[in-house]
Amino acid sequence: MKKMNFDIAVIGGGPAGLAAAIQARKEGAEKVLVIERDVELGGILQQCIHDGFGLHRFGKRMSGNEYAQEFIDELENTDIEVLLDTMVLEVTRDKVIYACNNKDGMMEIACKAVILAMGCRERTASQIQLMGYRPAGVLTAGSVQRYINMEGYLPGKKAVILGSGDIGLIMARRMTLEGMEVKGVYEVMPSPGGLTRNIVQCLDDYDIPLHLSTTVAKVHGKKRIEGVTVAKLDENRQIIPGTEEYIECDLLVLAVGLIPENELSVGCGIELDERTRGPVLDNHFMTSVPGIFACGNVAVVFDLVDYVSQSGEIAAKGAVAYMNGKLTGGEGTEYVHTVPAGNVNFIVPQKIVKGEECEVQLYMRVKHPDKKAVLEVSEDGQVTQTGRHPFVAPPEMISCTVKATGNADVIVDMKEGK
Amino acid sequence: MIERIRHAASEAFPGIEMTLTVDGRNIVTVQGECESWNQLVDVGHFLAKQEGVKNVVNEMTVKGLVIPKKDYSQAKADGEAKGVVKETDVVIVGAGVIGCGIARTLAKYDMNVTVVEMSDDVCTGASKANNGNIHPGMAVKPGTLKAKLNIEGNRMYQQWADELNFALDWCGCVAVVTDERLMKGAEMTYKIAVMNGVHEPEVFYSAERALEIEPKLAHRNLDIKGGAFFPSFGQVESYEVVIALAENAADNGVEFMFNTTVADVLREDGQVQGVVTNKGIIKAKHVINCAGIYADEISAMAGDKCYTIHGRKGTLAILDRHSEPEFDRVTMIYDGSHLIQEKKNAESKGGAMCVTTEHQSLLGPSATEVPDKEDNTTTIDDLAYAMGTNLNAATGYKDIIKTFCGVRPADYSEDFVIEMSPITHGFINVGAIQSPGLASAPAIAKMVEEIWLEDVKAAGCEPAVKEDYNPYREARVEFRHMSREEQDQLIAQDPRYGRIICRCEQITEGEILDAINSSVVPTSVDAIKRRTRAGMGRCQGGFCQPKVLEILARELGKEWTEIHLKDAGSRILFEETRQAAKEGGDK
Repeated sequence: MKKMNFDIAVIGGGPAGLAAAIQARKEGAEKVLVIERDVELGGILQQCIHDGFGLHRFGKRMSGNEYAQEFIDELENTDIEVLLDTMVLEVTRDKVIYACNNKDGMMEIACKAVILAMGCRERTASQIQLMGYRPAGVLTAGSVQRYINMEGYLPGKKAVILGSGDIGLIMARRMTLEGMEVKGVYEVMPSPGGLTRNIVQCLDDYDIPLHLSTTVAKVHGKKRIEGVTVAKLDENRQIIPGTEEYIECDLLVLAVGLIPENELSVGCGIELDERTRGPVLDNHFMTSVPGIFACGNVAVVFDLVDYVSQSGEIAAKGAVAYMNGKLTGGEGTEYVHTVPAGNVNFIVPQKIVKGEECEVQLYMRVKHPDKKAVLEVSEDGQVTQTGRHPFVAPPEMISCTVKATGNADVIVDMKEGK
Repeated sequence: MIERIRHAASEAFPGIEMTLTVDGRNIVTVQGECESWNQLVDVGHFLAKQEGVKNVVNEMTVKGLVIPKKDYSQAKADGEAKGVVKETDVVIVGAGVIGCGIARTLAKYDMNVTVVEMSDDVCTGASKANNGNIHPGMAVKPGTLKAKLNIEGNRMYQQWADELNFALDWCGCVAVVTDERLMKGAEMTYKIAVMNGVHEPEVFYSAERALEIEPKLAHRNLDIKGGAFFPSFGQVESYEVVIALAENAADNGVEFMFNTTVADVLREDGQVQGVVTNKGIIKAKHVINCAGIYADEISAMAGDKCYTIHGRKGTLAILDRHSEPEFDRVTMIYDGSHLIQEKKNAESKGGAMCVTTEHQSLLGPSATEVPDKEDNTTTIDDLAYAMGTNLNAATGYKDIIKTFCGVRPADYSEDFVIEMSPITHGFINVGAIQSPGLASAPAIAKMVEEIWLEDVKAAGCEPAVKEDYNPYREARVEFRHMSREEQDQLIAQDPRYGRIICRCEQITEGEILDAINSSVVPTSVDAIKRRTRAGMGRCQGGFCQPKVLEILARELGKEWTEIHLKDAGSRILFEETRQAAKEGGDK
């Protein structure tokens, strides 16, 4: 078995991993490795040929692959090593990575620190209890995106979209541009799951109807999907009898949520947060296993790639500090917590190393949409900062920098708008 | 007899007009109109239970309900136009566990065996959508054919597993009761088990013994009064069994014809002559009917209407392997509330929490009668039933990675129908094989072999066994179960095992190529899934489906648009995008 040693290994060469690797090298890590399972770097951005990426970071609208290319170009000018078409099978608590490909065989890669950047996967038909037949033509939005944008094939002609997650909205427009008929977007919740700008640009501009509080109750068609029964839902998300309607289609696209892909994390016993489904992180984005960090969508599903890259850089700084003995983590370390209150659903990172006076980057989502909301951050009953939010909604992540003393829990309260 | 039955039926179902006839074999045929599908099924069951009745042909209709019927006319016309395309010794109709088991058993004789299957692959019906239980045989009615074959089949399974190299886990099944009054049930089950000849059944009266059998019961802090234990309860992945049987049969010369629908059975002077299929006429000396939910229709084609299949669907759910199964054995806890569920599911077993050989929790199945035999739709109620069998409170709907449903081919006698047709000689019925059909499969194959052998010998032939017959099938490479060192060596020998295609289940390109290069070639994405597990994991093929599709297209020399999810009519991609079409050919 091939044995290797690195200062820092980054698992995943998408936007989080690329930013983390570049930052780790800048911070002084000498031997940095990126392990990517696909045949090229960039991750899911390579299939995101629509624009709207990089507004925060580069101040311009870029396509996903253009955004990724900025980082790939930068990385290629460094001595960061890259393993492509390589799958990580296991990460141990001692920071040993087992990965394989068809050239090097099985590799045992020992690292001083590991950064997890595996991204996320899509929720599937069975996970949302989609009922009826299981024919061809029921695909997740990301799969449809891959077939159309990367492989150059249409997986249908008449589509119904279940779920108003961003990828579904993007694909509604994409499919329309490819000459397909998009019959409508059906969302179980009473408010959309995707960004407002995507509702406007991908549905409204193309006259694609969005039906809220509506679900697909049944899939029809034994071989290839022939249609779906949609039905209205009451406030308890139960089907309202008599509202069922049959809609003919040959493709059902599922845009029903993303799940951080933490199988490697679970394998080495990293503690997960039930709400984010990502690792519980400290202010350096270190997980509960010392020396293993997480960033990007494996930590929490972000809405904007700019935040993903930013989280990679935070994790890289932490990893280099750990490598240099400046952080310890693990059981001997005490923490204070970031505590969601009011309309705040969850916060990443979940904790701050006790006694570390710091500026911490917080990412959070709210529970329900609201207007003129006020974000109030406090420690020990003392309000340390406030911010006004004219409009908040669950799909739109809120990011803010908070000063923390490290001596008390940081309460983050999104107060209802008046 | 008929008068007695007429009288009983009119009392049991007042207001339902029935026309009842009975033939020389005591097969009752019923016509008339029912109020509902469930009533129609109840009438069938009622008649079958009357003394002296062998089986029931139920030709009743339901008011306001169109009962879907398969139309064979086009397939028949196509086949007749093509004429005779093959002459063989034995045609086996259907490539489920029964058809493939019989094919593999008959493969040792020096003759030609052809399996015809309407779908694109082996194992696409009830054989794939069940809970993989190798039942010990304590839940079947003593004295029935089912009981005999269940017990025999259970005892033969280890040999199948040894020869064919599929995973078989003798996990055992334990039922505990927390209410002394329920001990009667445990004792009764034990008695039936003894009567049927179940291997080493046990009844016990202490919590200590329960904990010896399943130590993990300790976490529950139950007041266990006793229970029953059946160590010969086994677990397999049923599709693994069928594929192994089919491959071994094919290795020994059995020919498989897929996408081939039998549309008629040819006979002359009471002797079977062959079958008409959509691919042409196949002449044969024997036709063995293992057509699952369609078996009654095939039997009718042979002029032998002797049973009616009513589909009973069952929904199952598989949980993510991270949700650790609570018990190592199949464990049932009876506190009284379960009795209601048991009754509802009276004619079919199942409804327990099992652990697959890949260590995943498998829940269900439910049991719901359906007018359309092909109705394998999942419903909220059926899923709720399956989830109700979950004994691990820490897991639930959020852990489901796949929900699916199969249709049991049940008849009204609720027993197996295995016999040489007394009407069309040479036509052997192997019908109504529902639970415990998987467990009984080896014994069914043996029984059919004996029926066939007896017939051949009666005709004055002494069938010879092939000199090169090989009952063994080599184990497949399973990368995920190897040590890192073994994996490294494997990749060094063949780099294709170094490329992981399915990330969730860690399935390599090498394993997919092994499947494609096997003796029963998979051509669809689901066929690859059943052979390798690629796409069976938590992302359900979200990431690997395009890669599997690419490999299939490449290896089979097909276009991407020609690759199906399952059988004909289920293609995944329609056409190239405009841009791709313009660029031309970069595929």
